Amino acid sequence: MATAYYEFYRGSSIGMALTDSLDELITSGAITPQLAMKVLQQFDKSLADTMVKQVKTKTTLKGSLRTYRLCDDVWTFIIKNPTFKMESNDMVNAQRIKIIACKNGDAIEAGKK
Amino acid sequence: MSFALPARQITFGRTNASQQQQPYQYQQPQQQQHGGLALPGGATFIQPQQPTGLSLPGPSPLSNSYVNPQTKTLNAPVTAATTAGNAVAGPSTPPATQVPATPVALTLEQQHITAVEGIVPTLQNIVATVNLDCRLDLKTIALHARNAEYNPKRFAAVIMRIRDPKTTALIFASGKMVVTGAKSEDDSRLASRKYARIVQKLGFDAKFSEFKIQNIVGSCDVKFPIRLEGLAYSHGQFSSYEPELFPGLIYRMIKPKVVLLIFVSGKIVLTGAKVREEIYTAFNTIYTVLCEFRKP
Repeated sequence: MATAYYEFYRGSSIGMALTDSLDELITSGAITPQLAMKVLQQFDKSLADTMVKQVKTKTTLKGSLRTYRLCDDVWTFIIKNPTFKMESNDMVNAQRIKIIACKNGDAIEAGKK
Repeated sequence: MSFALPARQITFGRTNASQQQQPYQYQQPQQQQHGGLALPGGATFIQPQQPTGLSLPGPSPLSNSYVNPQTKTLNAPVTAATTAGNAVAGPSTPPATQVPATPVALTLEQQHITAVEGIVPTLQNIVATVNLDCRLDLKTIALHARNAEYNPKRFAAVIMRIRDPKTTALIFASGKMVVTGAKSEDDSRLASRKYARIVQKLGFDAKFSEFKIQNIVGSCDVKFPIRLEGLAYSHGQFSSYEPELFPGLIYRMIKPKVVLLIFVSGKIVLTGAKVREEIYTAFNTIYTVLCEFRKP
């Protein structure tokens, strides 16, 4: 199931940092672009697995749902004035957030949520 | 419009029993419209029938403090009928006290709301269909429209919602669309137009054709408990009452063709109507029946 991982974590700060580093290595000739692709694919897989298996932190959020969308098994929610309540009882506010929710690799295989 | 209905006086708000006894003919509002419009203003005032009104107690039921347009429909037929020289206004006809020179244009709603005991069923849901008359790519719609769900594994339509009027639409690839959740005919139509516009804006050549209301659901409360067994027994032909399956009695009225769910509590759900008048007529018809089976 090499293709069952989403690439959207590449857009996160850690993903961007990795991409930048790989770019540098390619331009300096240290690695081949093929190897860089392989690293990125591994990154997708590792991050997705880590998120599912090791990240146990939870937060609850409250806000008003402006827009939602479900297409290709991906839910998109735009929430106005959300308030996050962290486990440490911290409250975090924002004006507008977008949540993109996908099935994880296992779920895609199992065909259920 | 002739309904095989038990005649019933319309009363807005609670009135005394004697007034309720007065039969009221349903055909009359329509006659009034024709007669009233055809006659030049003054002619409508000839009222040879006035004495018949004397058989009524008191100043007439029309002296209700609630001034409603409906009372005019009661008066007018007398004049319309007599000037035309045909129909005989029996003693049951309410006295013609005053007839407006020009009949007040009644909205459809007013013509047909014949509230018994001041109860008018509230419309709860309207389902309508529209043909957008063009093939649609549902994935494009799901990707670009807001508040859309598309899960072809579950259901072969895009489910879309708008906030005003608060409704849900099912949009099919064939271009057919079902709009549900509206509380009035106008809202249903407006919502359907809005959905059509959304689809148009996404680049489809959508038209707005064949809009049709498929179902109207109404509900109300008669505010007294009902003996469902008795009702089921004497109206066996129309009723199905299986308390072990469902606590309400299912009453399939033939004319108008409306299905009613009647609950012991006196709460009623009416469904299956294509026009709101059918809901009102069905309620008025059932109300007389329900009174018979009022729990002591």
